[in-house]
Amino acid sequence: MKKRTGIFICHCGINIAGTVDVKSVAAEMAKEPGVAHSVDYVYMCSDPGQNMIEQAIKDKKLDSVVVACCSPNLHETTFRNAAKRAGINSFKCEIANIREQCSWVHKDKGKATHKAAHLTKSALKKVQKNESLEPISVPVTRKALVIGGGISGIQSALDLAGAGYKVILVERSPSIGGHMSQLSETFPTLDCSQCILTPKMVEVSKHPNIKLMTYSEVQEVTGYVGNFKVKILKKPTYVDPAKCNLCDECTKVCPIVVPNEFDVGLTGRRAIYIPFPQAIPASYTLDDKNCPDPFTTIACGKCADVCKVKAINFDMKPEIIEEDVGAIIVATGFDLYDKEHMAEYGYGKYADVLDGLQFERLCSASGPTQGKILRPSDHKEPKEVVFIQCSGSRDPELHCAYCSKICCMYTAKHAMLYKHHVHDGQAYVFYIDVRSGGKGYEEFVQRAVEEDGVIYLRGKVSKIFEENGKIKVWGVDTLSGKSIEIDADMVVLAQAMRPSQGAQELAKKLKLAMDKDGFLAEAHPKLRPVESVTSGMFLAGAAQAPKDIPEAVAQASGAASKAIGILSQDRLYHSPTVAKVLKNLCTGCGMCVAVCPYDAIAFKDGKVEVNEVLCEGCGTCSATCLRAAIQVKNLTQNQVQEMILACLGG
Amino acid sequence: MTEEFEPKIVAFLCKWCSSAGSDLAGVSRMEYPANVIPIQVMCSGSVSPLYIFEAFNRGADGVLVSGCHPGDCHYIKGNMYARRKLLLVKKLLEHLGLEPERFQMSWVSAAEGQKYTQVIKELVKELKPLGPQTKLRREGNG
Amino acid sequence: MVKHEDVRAEAKKLLESGKVKYIIAYELGSDGWKANPVFIKKPEDVDKIIWGPTCVHNLVRFLVDEKRRKALQKNPDTRPVGVMVKGCDSRAIVILLQEKFINRKDVHIIGVSCETTGVIDERKLAKKLKGWIAKTIEFGSDENFLITTDSGAVTLPASEIMADRCLECIANFPIVFDVLLGEKTKRTVCHPFGSVEKIETLTSADRWKFWSEQLEKCVRCYGCRSVCPMCYCDECVADTITFAVSPDTTAEEKAQKIKWLDKSPVISENIFYHMVRAIHLAGRCIDCGECERACPVNIPLRMLNKKLEKEAKLLFGYDVGFDPEKPALISCFRDEDPEDFIR
Repeated sequence: MKKRTGIFICHCGINIAGTVDVKSVAAEMAKEPGVAHSVDYVYMCSDPGQNMIEQAIKDKKLDSVVVACCSPNLHETTFRNAAKRAGINSFKCEIANIREQCSWVHKDKGKATHKAAHLTKSALKKVQKNESLEPISVPVTRKALVIGGGISGIQSALDLAGAGYKVILVERSPSIGGHMSQLSETFPTLDCSQCILTPKMVEVSKHPNIKLMTYSEVQEVTGYVGNFKVKILKKPTYVDPAKCNLCDECTKVCPIVVPNEFDVGLTGRRAIYIPFPQAIPASYTLDDKNCPDPFTTIACGKCADVCKVKAINFDMKPEIIEEDVGAIIVATGFDLYDKEHMAEYGYGKYADVLDGLQFERLCSASGPTQGKILRPSDHKEPKEVVFIQCSGSRDPELHCAYCSKICCMYTAKHAMLYKHHVHDGQAYVFYIDVRSGGKGYEEFVQRAVEEDGVIYLRGKVSKIFEENGKIKVWGVDTLSGKSIEIDADMVVLAQAMRPSQGAQELAKKLKLAMDKDGFLAEAHPKLRPVESVTSGMFLAGAAQAPKDIPEAVAQASGAASKAIGILSQDRLYHSPTVAKVLKNLCTGCGMCVAVCPYDAIAFKDGKVEVNEVLCEGCGTCSATCLRAAIQVKNLTQNQVQEMILACLGG
Repeated sequence: MTEEFEPKIVAFLCKWCSSAGSDLAGVSRMEYPANVIPIQVMCSGSVSPLYIFEAFNRGADGVLVSGCHPGDCHYIKGNMYARRKLLLVKKLLEHLGLEPERFQMSWVSAAEGQKYTQVIKELVKELKPLGPQTKLRREGNG
Repeated sequence: MVKHEDVRAEAKKLLESGKVKYIIAYELGSDGWKANPVFIKKPEDVDKIIWGPTCVHNLVRFLVDEKRRKALQKNPDTRPVGVMVKGCDSRAIVILLQEKFINRKDVHIIGVSCETTGVIDERKLAKKLKGWIAKTIEFGSDENFLITTDSGAVTLPASEIMADRCLECIANFPIVFDVLLGEKTKRTVCHPFGSVEKIETLTSADRWKFWSEQLEKCVRCYGCRSVCPMCYCDECVADTITFAVSPDTTAEEKAQKIKWLDKSPVISENIFYHMVRAIHLAGRCIDCGECERACPVNIPLRMLNKKLEKEAKLLFGYDVGFDPEKPALISCFRDEDPEDFIR
């Protein structure tokens, strides 16, 4: 059937017509093959202008239109809607930008007119080979998955649940709470961390919309946005949470002692344990990695003997639970860079050289020393404590290049807390900079200096080592130019924040991109900080980058709102200008599969196929394919060839 | 009097960065020569080597491909593949003896209207003394 | 040094066990001294097999035909095909494996060492022998060939008559194989990318003069495409002569056919065709030299593909045809890929 395209050249007042001879372009276009109508008008985007287009489509039975006007960013949607109203498919309307890229940048009228004609012809050739397309729609599973039960995961889950959506919150340790539950007080308010966290934890446990799965790990995620299928491994705790009454008789008889993760190795715990008294779920867990011990290989059973409520069941088995969800939030948090990497600071071997989390546990009233600051080696009170900032951070040669953001603040906090506990103690802080940008942060640091007499020394510590029961600290004060030697009783290293252990493996399972430091990669560093590149997967908290609690909470709510944006729709709509495979030409070499940024192309039956929901239509696959066997709809290589010809011809 | 030779240049601009940068040059009313006719593609990664060859075969005196800066690609890494593929094209064309100025690439972001103007001006300036491209041109074209 | 008997014994073992369908090997041609490809199906026929410096052909191309044949059969014999490969040929198999064109289990690779010399270029040999026809050619040790003619025996240094690609060899021993005959040897006359360097030293104008003169000769016989193992596309994007329109050909397929260039063998279209072929072979051409050998008008096609093989290594650190798991050259990138050419 013969093509019948309508050409509409806009004057845009004098913006275009002042430089481009629009009438001559319209006349030239009228002679082009397949053009059934070619006119110019003063303001095509105005109501009369749009009506003119709609009328012409009906009167002249046009099957496609080209509007030569301003940038498509402005009015492509306007004219596509007009075309649709007139009864033709919206994708049969193309824009030729003869303003921003022609009349506004050229002075020579002859040349500008000539170029405008080429641009319009190019758009004509494209539109004549456009297919009619409809947006692709898929249904949405109205449930979300949150991976990680720290403050970020908890916040996201509560926001989603509060909005009326069902949420599955998966946490790999026996309790939610994350590192925030280990903290004593939080800056800058010195709020008790557990006091502000536990209400949220309880809310999670009680919320009807939240299915809490602790001691569980995500094994597999397949599918795509709106339609993810997840397999979750529920590890056996061997304790029935419905029966356990937290009497603690079992730990008294358990013979196995292992380092206590909650106290970061400062104390031990039994093989059957509760991580901390306010743990949610409120139940004990039997750690089957350490029980039974390697020698006996049979559980001693003493804990079950003393359990009055018969909560212990050695026959519990791991379960794989399958769930369908529509959106996923990854909030796997952080871990501290291990002290064993710090060669100059003793490889983590000295008992009195602690990292930030260990010092928190000393400060904590429910910690290993009931809130007294005592040296782990001899339980004496340290009178001189050195705090070293940037330990492992801002060190591109040896450790992490980036700044871990929170260390300046928590070091000031630690120094203050130390002074509050040990009135006659002296705290020294070795720093490169003091970064205290948040609300009340700067004032907080000044308090440490002015009220608590913390001495800040600007310089790095080159070496620490143990001698005669003291930790010798060799540093420098660059402001006075002097080298400093301190015989400290305790040293606290502000170790760098690293992505959580196991985050990398999880990211691979989810096919989430990571940045060069192993943190989860956001879709755009400025404008899309909570979205990942994968549609339907969002990021929250320290998993994405070092951050403090207020930022983590804000980001968690942001991620939740993005997830709600997906879950609140009946169906998801997606641009239909996606890639398609010409199977007769495809040989299944897989070069396109390797280059697709969205993993939207998969092997099938010796060839490949495109997941239209994941495809964003970038066309990289098409340029990679040696055989032109994969093309982007409405921007095929055929069309581009015609456009090249239109640009150069005549 | 012979008219000054005006090179005909085809430019492949990625929609999200370079074409937007070109739009910004327009909005800012910057001025540059009218020798370049842009074709908007979604991503610099979607520019096939055959487009370059076809443009030269059909009489283009110069070809420009412009995309997002590394790390900024709207489609994450399409520009990285363009960088590799099109360097191979450039090396091949130069191996054959085509003047290297005729095929060029640039990174122009959506904020770089000024840079886009500069790139076009310099490109036209470099191509004028070279005269019409006859080596790869099909007879009857250009 | 690998003798004919060694290859024959191996082939006999394979065919007698029924492990392979047939073996693609070399036999003595009708002129009595040069090798020709041969398909050996029965154990009794293995005595036809020869191995020597005239075994220049890249037999991997026949695997492409085998795949096409199998696709048309209703109940194909699924046993692997045996094939003799030199170092360069084995890299062609690596590429076909990378691109999943063949399965590893469909081929039984008989890797053979081409000794210290590589294979000969028969035109160079003809020049050297000044009219005398060679009767036998054998690999010598110490980088020379042992040749007998009617006028006697002569030992020629390999560097004088070996194939151009052998002078630039980067893999004189099979990379993938199921069985290996012979030993890896040292070849001292190699100068990888030497032919390309010669062209690079010319000025731009001289380079154009060279290539335009050479490519003007092209008659578009597509011999280069027919012998290349990597040109296995059913439809050549550059210029199709296989597009068979049948009642089943859909309108979409017909509409999608892009005519990038004209069929006429004029210089502009010849250059276009060869540019497309060269860019499509970037990261895939392993320099078996067959295209150049097949060209009836002696266009130095190797120097076109070799340039991109060199740039792949130099610019991107990419070695072509060594690792079947490696992604294609254009399907991967490094953060440090050069971009000083970008404004």
